[in-house]
Amino acid sequence: MRERLSFYIQRHSPIHRLNPFTKLTLAFALVLISFFSPWYWTALCLILLVIFPLAIIGRVGREFFAAALRLLVPVTGFIFLMQSLFLPGGETVLFRFWFLRVTLESVARAFLISMRIFGMVSSFILFLLTTHPSELMTDLTRRGLPGTVAYVIISTLQILPQMQAKAQTIIAAQRSRGLAVEGSFIRRVRALVPLVGPLVFGSLVEVEERAIAIEARAFSATGPKTSYREIDDTPFDRTVRWLMVALVVLSLAARFFG
Amino acid sequence: MNIEVEDLHFSYPGGVEALRGITLRIEGGELVAMVGQNGSGKTTLVKHFNGLLQPSRGCVRVGDWDTRTVSVARLASRVGYVFQNPDDQLFCKTVAEEVAFGPRNLGYAPEKVEQLVRRALAWTGLTGREGTNPYDLSPTWRKMVALAAVLSMDTPVVIFDEPTTGQDWQSVARMARVIAMLREEGKTVITITHDMDFCAENFTRVIALGGGQVLLDGPADEVLGEAEILAQTFVEPPQLVRLARRLGWKETPLTIPVFLDACRRSVRKEDGADGAERRFDT
Amino acid sequence: MVIVDLQHVTYRYPMTEQSALEDVSLHIEEGEFVAVIGPNGAGKSTLCYTVAGFIPHFFKGELEGTVEVAGVESRQASLEQRVRSVGLVFQNPFNQISGAKYTVFEEIAFGLENLGVSRAEMPARVEQVMALTGITDLAERSPYALSGGQQQRVALASILVMEPKVLVLDEPTSQLDPVGTREVFGVIRNMALRGMTVLMVEHKLEWVAAFADRVIALENGRILAEGTPAEVLTDERLLEHHFGFSRYTLAAREGRKEALWPPDRRLPVTLDEAETGFREGLRRP
Repeated sequence: MRERLSFYIQRHSPIHRLNPFTKLTLAFALVLISFFSPWYWTALCLILLVIFPLAIIGRVGREFFAAALRLLVPVTGFIFLMQSLFLPGGETVLFRFWFLRVTLESVARAFLISMRIFGMVSSFILFLLTTHPSELMTDLTRRGLPGTVAYVIISTLQILPQMQAKAQTIIAAQRSRGLAVEGSFIRRVRALVPLVGPLVFGSLVEVEERAIAIEARAFSATGPKTSYREIDDTPFDRTVRWLMVALVVLSLAARFFG
Repeated sequence: MNIEVEDLHFSYPGGVEALRGITLRIEGGELVAMVGQNGSGKTTLVKHFNGLLQPSRGCVRVGDWDTRTVSVARLASRVGYVFQNPDDQLFCKTVAEEVAFGPRNLGYAPEKVEQLVRRALAWTGLTGREGTNPYDLSPTWRKMVALAAVLSMDTPVVIFDEPTTGQDWQSVARMARVIAMLREEGKTVITITHDMDFCAENFTRVIALGGGQVLLDGPADEVLGEAEILAQTFVEPPQLVRLARRLGWKETPLTIPVFLDACRRSVRKEDGADGAERRFDT
Repeated sequence: MVIVDLQHVTYRYPMTEQSALEDVSLHIEEGEFVAVIGPNGAGKSTLCYTVAGFIPHFFKGELEGTVEVAGVESRQASLEQRVRSVGLVFQNPFNQISGAKYTVFEEIAFGLENLGVSRAEMPARVEQVMALTGITDLAERSPYALSGGQQQRVALASILVMEPKVLVLDEPTSQLDPVGTREVFGVIRNMALRGMTVLMVEHKLEWVAAFADRVIALENGRILAEGTPAEVLTDERLLEHHFGFSRYTLAAREGRKEALWPPDRRLPVTLDEAETGFREGLRRP
């Protein structure tokens, strides 16, 4: 069974030490600023001058760039290509090919959209790499997120790999009963019924048992709860968060009044 | 139908070597129990018998089929495999449909399917519950449905993974009856079990695995008497064998009649003359 | 002092017609170890849920009679009170992992957090139960990356850390291999020796005989027999009702017919008793 059940990578870095809520604010702010800001190069600058350096400061550079290369570059590349080819309008024709007409304007728009998406996804990758899920939930619960919501989120994250393992067992059990899972599309779709049934039923049984188990540990106790994990929230954290809010507001203002 | 295993090695992705060179041959009609602690390789080994796992090295043959060249779905006509948790396989609305699923997959004619289903239900005590939804049954009975669903495939080899886990006395007894019927029909039965008393009373050959290798392989009364070697894989001999050892006997009685026979012999020996030949020397 | 007191308890699950428990009365003294045996469907788990207060608080349905644990009627008891008086551990170790925590240490502390125990108090309490259950080495591991026996000991520790007065164990080893079984029974024996009150459902009669002060045989929601292990585990009614006997008991019962087992000696329930009896029976004057 895998030990690691989230994207989180344990390292010691200034980013890791930030309050999780600060990191969440930072991730959202970066996205909002890159979308709101009227200046064309904002998204690219944020990526190059903020997100990349933060990944290196956070000592997750290798994992970050690996994820970016494997996932982001192909996806944004594809988006860029499609947008360049199919975005209508524009005067400055760069070249024509068959019925396609690629203009400078469409390329520019496509580049902007791709950079925004790249920025959005990469800032969340950075967030996930440097934030322990249970620290995030503990902190959000302290800030008023209902405990049940936090529990559902975090236990789902943990249980997904287990569900996957269970699905493997079910597939093995049904193949042993002569179920052919290879072959035509129709055949494969038909093979789904014997797989999904036990998975759903099994989960229902497990949900009840798990509910009993967490009740046995006073989960829905009404008194005040405590937390073993202590999460720092320093003046620096608060400053960063307000700064982010201010920057988002500024970029919004710039868009509408600038 | 024979199962031949030749120098079988298997590593899971990620590098853990679960089987480290296993060679054995199981003849048609044998009753074989696989024992050993979790992680000793029992499940990994039997999953090779129906092709769910493929050897990293060496080979496994079921009859004249090499498991590397035949699909699992096709091997299912030779090797039936009852998984430990019945909830991993039940999905039909009725017991009868569930039990008919396997033989239908094997392409048997409707009349034959019906006949096989009827027989499997009778063996497992499910006759009369054909129309019940398996999920309305207790876990004990769901286990019987899962068992019937494999028995109905009428395979020459049947594998049980932990058939007695969580079962009560009565359903263990029912399981024992099923094994006896399979033996009468000349089927090969292979069982993974932690229940040594069940193992002693129902199987003729025991294979003890430890660390991905065969520690012991032989007639049940020989293997189950080797307390020291079994301890290496955290298996404790059955109750009657432990009692026999305490009484200082050389015999390894696996069943109550055999145990009582040994008692009678012991008494006769005591009656039969010189008190010098005491059985209890300690 | 009586710590668990059930008076004429009858319970029916919602949407069922048959009672899962039928007029069950049960008193457990502080420090007593009571084992419950019975075929599947006899109402053993229902009894556990009733003592632990999950009936009627988690499972609705119809509960008659009174259930009192540590002097509090369970219908009136708050979740905090119930959790502090009874700890429940059941079969499947995997489903008892909360899923909320990433290390064994925090998994164990989960109950303390919910009870609002101060943060300063946690490490000592968690470390103490980890030592007690032999899992100190696992503190920083993921609770999901453990063997069944280890997971079950984490489940036990997670309950024990809340210091319940009564420990209710519903077939705690039925899903474990022999190693895991031994590890978990080791912890349970340890707790019993320290004076913990235990109610344990168990199929393995040899362990029941070794542990229990008192055995209750349950069938169809009713108490069929009750007494010391020696009395109950050799009670002929158990055979009639398909409970089964251990091989020691069965062998002696058969052997007694031809005096291989001393006719005046009661049937054995443990290996030691079987040895002594057969030695005597096989010795001829």
